[in-house]
Amino acid sequence: MVNKLKLISFLFFPYWILFSNDLDVMSNDIIEINHEVEVYHPGEIGAIHTILTEIQNKDSVTIGYAMNVESVICLEEVCKVIPVRLYWNSIGVYQKYVLEEGATLEKYEADFFEPEDYKKLHSVLANTNSPFKDVEISEVLTVVDHGDEDVDAVSGATALELDEKDTVPGAALTCYTLWHWANGEIVKTIRKTTGESSTNSKLFEFIVDDNISFYPIALEALKERKNYEIEYVEPVIKRVSLNDTLIKSSITYLESAPIEVYSSALKEVFINGGKLQRIAVMRSLQHTKREIPRAYFDSYNKEMVHLKSFQEFSVFLGLMEDKNPNSEQINKGLIPFLDGNFLIARRVYWYLSEQNNLNANQQDKLQQFFEKHEDRL
Amino acid sequence: MKRREFFKKGTKAVVAAGVVPIIASSCASTNDILDDRNKDKWYHLGTGKKGIPNRKKIVNYDVAVIGGGAAGICAAVAAARNGSKTVLVQDRPVLGGNASSEMRVHLNGVNNLKGKAERETGIIEEILLHNRFENEQESFPVFDHVMYDFVVREPNLTLMLNTQAIEAVMDGDKIKSAKCWQSTTETLYTINAPVYIDSSGDGLLGASAGAEYRTGREGKAEFDETYAPDEPDGWQMGATLLMSSKDMGRPMKYIPPSFAIKYTHEGGHKRRKFAGFQDGIWWIEVGSDGDIIGDAEINRHKLMGYLHGVWDYIKNSGNFPEAENLALDWVGSLPSRRESRRFIGDYIVSEKDMTEHKHFYDAVAFGGWSLDEHNPGGIEDISEPPSYFHYHFEEVYQFPFRSLYSKNVSNLMFAGRNVSQTHIALSSSRIMATCSLQGQAVGTAATICNRKNVLPREVGKNHISELQEMLMRDDAFIPKRPANDPKDLAKKSSLIFGSSTLSGDPKNLLNGISRDIDGAINHWKSDGLNAELQLEWESPVDLSSVELKCDTNVKRNIMMRKDSRNNELYGNHVPKEMLKSLSLQARVNGKWHDLGSIENNRTRLIKFKFDNLKTTAVKLKLKETYGAVNVKLFEIRCYS
Repeated sequence: MVNKLKLISFLFFPYWILFSNDLDVMSNDIIEINHEVEVYHPGEIGAIHTILTEIQNKDSVTIGYAMNVESVICLEEVCKVIPVRLYWNSIGVYQKYVLEEGATLEKYEADFFEPEDYKKLHSVLANTNSPFKDVEISEVLTVVDHGDEDVDAVSGATALELDEKDTVPGAALTCYTLWHWANGEIVKTIRKTTGESSTNSKLFEFIVDDNISFYPIALEALKERKNYEIEYVEPVIKRVSLNDTLIKSSITYLESAPIEVYSSALKEVFINGGKLQRIAVMRSLQHTKREIPRAYFDSYNKEMVHLKSFQEFSVFLGLMEDKNPNSEQINKGLIPFLDGNFLIARRVYWYLSEQNNLNANQQDKLQQFFEKHEDRL
Repeated sequence: MKRREFFKKGTKAVVAAGVVPIIASSCASTNDILDDRNKDKWYHLGTGKKGIPNRKKIVNYDVAVIGGGAAGICAAVAAARNGSKTVLVQDRPVLGGNASSEMRVHLNGVNNLKGKAERETGIIEEILLHNRFENEQESFPVFDHVMYDFVVREPNLTLMLNTQAIEAVMDGDKIKSAKCWQSTTETLYTINAPVYIDSSGDGLLGASAGAEYRTGREGKAEFDETYAPDEPDGWQMGATLLMSSKDMGRPMKYIPPSFAIKYTHEGGHKRRKFAGFQDGIWWIEVGSDGDIIGDAEINRHKLMGYLHGVWDYIKNSGNFPEAENLALDWVGSLPSRRESRRFIGDYIVSEKDMTEHKHFYDAVAFGGWSLDEHNPGGIEDISEPPSYFHYHFEEVYQFPFRSLYSKNVSNLMFAGRNVSQTHIALSSSRIMATCSLQGQAVGTAATICNRKNVLPREVGKNHISELQEMLMRDDAFIPKRPANDPKDLAKKSSLIFGSSTLSGDPKNLLNGISRDIDGAINHWKSDGLNAELQLEWESPVDLSSVELKCDTNVKRNIMMRKDSRNNELYGNHVPKEMLKSLSLQARVNGKWHDLGSIENNRTRLIKFKFDNLKTTAVKLKLKETYGAVNVKLFEIRCYS
């Protein structure tokens, strides 16, 4: 990818601005960086090579992106193609579209867009869960004619059945084309680019930002940079411990950390997080191919107090069976649980029954449990 | 002796009339069969002997299902799987009725409620999934064989093709035997069974048994129906003759045959559209306000004429330049029937039961196709819209068991378009997948009749909960009637949990509602594959089977279509959500034991059967789907 940096003293887009938002910064010192990108559009055959323009403020902070696309994919060269400039924010969320001054969009059978159609198009593009997500271009012909179910025996009037709220009637092809540009593969590229363009201090801000959309962008960039400085890892531990939705990106980031950072960070998350965090930690430890000393697993004997549910115990004991069997510390720590919740106690009982280094006292405890619960084992 | 004399009289009458298979007997003995072949002059060169071929057979079954369309297949398979020795009698050389290659109607169901399907599950779902595996090319003739395979592989089920049930032999208010003529073997079968299901559409067996029925349209007043005519009349929706064409890549001429009826579309209603004409036009339809069955051959000839007339209009009027390269590739000769007899049960379903979503204590099926009443006259009155589409449902309606058995023939049940309902109700429920649910219900009910030695009415009165539970265990869905099988040991588990959860909750798998519906989530969805689901019991349980209902995305249609649609509402492949590979373990004495694994699963209802064992926990390992990155389940059951 080639980055072309150019400083523009005053930015002027000769477009009809349709929707205002924070990208409408008509100010001095905006920086545009052009990225040559390769993107796929489901309506196109093969990759499209185009320019994605990153827009930064005067402090070199990415505030958004823009890209020129065509309004429709024209298979038989009978439709009118209008250039459209799409805008996203820095995390790839579609913001607005802009047309050249005087340009108008067309509908099926040469009708022009009405003013409300332009607004509708914007709302269609802003809907990340639009039905266009799963639609093939071959089906995009016209919209359904309401009140005509027409599906007795043979297909109805159109190949595509869409609710009116999901499309601009008569302009399904335009909606389809632009929706996939606005919400397609380019979003991933934008997020990656934002991460790559951001300084470490900006990435730190992303980690702690209230908007959690920035969080995975930061972690992916930090992972790429192999940045596992404590000033980044600590806030990651803190955030993931409190927010279940960040588990996957956080564990993925930590799994590439140096072994000491990985193991200590995971233990912190185990201690400070909730059930889901603890299960994720234990599964990561269970599946890692990295060499982790048994002493590390032994050290969890003091942390078993955090295990609350049967599921946590089940995963924990599965981890110990795989990575740290016959641990005196773990065995010792487990004995008290024989007197607790029966399902957990039974799981602990079967685990301990497989250990070959129990002392006499521990064996007595097991025998007592067996005698008491023989019919429920 | 009097009875025998009566039969002899009948014989003479029939012979005099020269109608070969029509029988007027009322006895099941071969001695009394009227088709006496003693004048047969068969000389067999191979043996050098003269003889009379054996063309009279008596067969005995637990359940006889008459009519091998979607409803009949589901009825027969349900009865057979639940333990009844069953025969399925079909008067055509292929199964599938309207959906067969002879007629090629899409096997529609609840296709579209507010933009999403609410697909029928159970046996019809299994058939449609089977078709997605066996018939990727979406060929109607291959679909015939898919259905054939589905039926003949059932060990408890006998299929008789080219066989028509032509008369019931009565014993009081019960059908004692069904006389059936198999045209390919010149054989007259006498089928004896304690329970009969007439899913033949026209219902000749039921009619000959004296079951009460009606034809035509009820007047508004009788059932307070908004969309019924003011006064009752005889009109019945017509049959359609379909066709399909293919693009030859070069201009193709078309010259209509001698029997074509000229078509101009002059004065045609604006909703009488041609969209999709290359795959047939459903409003090439002719009905009747009289005896629609008696008119069938006249109407068939007319329909063939209209079909070619309309195609001539498409090809030669100049209004369809897109048709220049098209040529007819297949033309139907057997019209697809919508309506004729409607039998009378203990309840007659009417419009408001559907539109007001009446709750039936004996609900066993559901529907949701629009009130799609076709116009009187069909193509012979093109100034009218081809259908009125009176009402579009936003949620499914229930269908009661009391409408699925005869009011006055005590061992006769129905499934399909001939069930007990008004003309307006039929305009919605006639859709094949809806009929299939009725079929599964009566097939299952027939088994209860046999097990308990009771008649259908008594099943409705005293065993309806058992019937509903059996249906739901077999993956049927009954709206607003959660399953609660007292034998299901999963409900008695102390704990259920998944290895990860993206949405829903593992506890939902025990709530008896096997789909997300009415705005409620009833699933558990893992976060990623190689997911696990575990159940724990405080005290050991005896288990010999574990049954799951996995996701097949019932919000998206899977029936085969001529246009092979593949979008948000219609899929043309195996649902990516469906579970493909999984295994089951049980914990015994603290150790996990493999109980089975399934690769390339093909069904929504997945069953593990194993030797009975005592266990305190089971664990499912859910390894792979047909493309979805997470696995979603709707139910787990455990039985001893």
